[in-house]
Amino acid sequence: MKEKIHKLEEKANWVRKQVLEMIASAGKGHIGGAFSCTDILVALYYGGILRFNPDDKNWDGRDRFILSKGHSGAALYAILSDLGYFSPSELCNYQKKGCILGGHPDKKIPGIEADTGSLGHGLGLGAGLALSAKMDKKDFMTFVLLGDGESYEGSVWEASMFAGHHRLNNLVAITDRNGLCVTDFLKDCLEIDPLEDKWKAFGWDVVIVNGHSYEELLFALKDFRSRKSDKPLMIIAKTIKGKGVSFMESNLDYHHSVPKGEQLEIARKELNEKL
Amino acid sequence: MNMKMSDIDLRVAFFDELYEIAKIDSNVIFLTADMGAYSLGKFKKDLKKQYINVGIAEQNMVSVAAGLALGGKTVFIYTIVPFATLRCYEQIKIDLCCMNLPVTIVGVGVGLTYGSDGPTHHGTQDIAVMRALPEITILSPSDSAITAASAKIAYKNSGPTYIRIDKGKYPALYEKESDFSDGLSMLKEGKDIIIISTGIMVHQALKVAQNLANHSISVGVIDLYRIKPLNTELLLKFISNSKRIVTLEENTIIGGIGSIVSEVLSDYERNISLKRIAIPDKHCFESGDREYLHTLHNLDVDNVVNTILQWSN
Repeated sequence: MKEKIHKLEEKANWVRKQVLEMIASAGKGHIGGAFSCTDILVALYYGGILRFNPDDKNWDGRDRFILSKGHSGAALYAILSDLGYFSPSELCNYQKKGCILGGHPDKKIPGIEADTGSLGHGLGLGAGLALSAKMDKKDFMTFVLLGDGESYEGSVWEASMFAGHHRLNNLVAITDRNGLCVTDFLKDCLEIDPLEDKWKAFGWDVVIVNGHSYEELLFALKDFRSRKSDKPLMIIAKTIKGKGVSFMESNLDYHHSVPKGEQLEIARKELNEKL
Repeated sequence: MNMKMSDIDLRVAFFDELYEIAKIDSNVIFLTADMGAYSLGKFKKDLKKQYINVGIAEQNMVSVAAGLALGGKTVFIYTIVPFATLRCYEQIKIDLCCMNLPVTIVGVGVGLTYGSDGPTHHGTQDIAVMRALPEITILSPSDSAITAASAKIAYKNSGPTYIRIDKGKYPALYEKESDFSDGLSMLKEGKDIIIISTGIMVHQALKVAQNLANHSISVGVIDLYRIKPLNTELLLKFISNSKRIVTLEENTIIGGIGSIVSEVLSDYERNISLKRIAIPDKHCFESGDREYLHTLHNLDVDNVVNTILQWSN
């Protein structure tokens, strides 16, 4: 287990380095949120959680992952390229002329299941997918990654109520609980806690984990395919926005600021020294 | 056997056809945002597994429909026009149109149908906003034959469709099972003026044409039953010999079929006079039924006749 976790941490560090270079090269991108959810994405794609096959992208039995907080697409792109969905050489063209990798994911990108970017859409999409699986007795699982700032959107709660009512226990949502929205801390903008109680009240099972601990993330997901509960599962992953680069961590400037010059060098150095 | 369908309510025609489609194809799922219809009863009763009331949550209805479509379903979603379009416009744009999914939005309460319910329930901006979406097909049927056919057209469409369905009984304009692939039809020829209309306003246009005949003005009527994609070629052919065109609709003056026709005339450099008759650019807070509000907005037959007479003189 220790070795597995070490490999996941190494992979996450690699993803953050890619994201840093992509965003630095493009001169734009949402680095803070990409870094806060990197460990979650790495756990899902490399931790033996998601079922997928890059050689058969449309395989019907694949699990569906929807990045509802689409602005964190850079981290997902790095992972999808690494897994073989498209050439890693595309990463350096991120957000540049003619590149398939735009600022927010869309279905035209191999490995992306749904167009996201405007917040509050992903959970409804995921609920529909999960419901279709139930209707057709298919065993694929649907995962949706939400932001905590995104959870201000009323549509998240419409979807939450729907999934709870329809007992979509084949739906797993994860909240990247980094505590920041675009220009503010959630506690100063609109208090969202008690988030756990909210989801429970909407008919979900809720687990709270450290979103940067692979032990906790993998433990929370260890039996997600065979849970006895008939409720959908929400994992509230406590994270740090900008995780991995000291001056970005929980820094309101790094929702979509781009490190340049000396700051870029410091960020590179910190990530290189990590592992 | 009488193939005319004038005895069938438009809503009944639509939902009966949809019922037949869904009975054969269990992959067809119907979502309603807590909106009922008498003619939906048998769908709800017989096809329980294909009928879901998602509650009064239109944004979620669209996203769930898109999710179901991503999972291989053909989905119809249903509520009142303003809630089916404006309330969840961004979900329609991104979840349905950007991903080009086979989801059909069925809107009832077209135009001023819910007259006395006020501007919250008036469907007078839907054409303007929905036609701005690139991938969508917009159907605006005028009688029961084409309303029923719209269900089939939408079912066969691989992308998103918006259907504005009206209620009540109207004179039959088409034979059942006609070919509606043209998107518009010349219901009546006329050498002086052509009125282009859509939905049940087409019947108003026909009455206006008949009335103007008494003034020795020969008026033709075009039924624009598919608003998007517009069959520009056929429209240009129909109006090629016209000197004057009138558009008649229940959309506001901004962005509706009047705007569509003016864009075509401009883009194709046709020097034809155009009079747009529509709801003025203001919300209507006056209470009253549809007929009353038509009179209030000069959309009733007499007022339209007078407007055209004044304009053409």
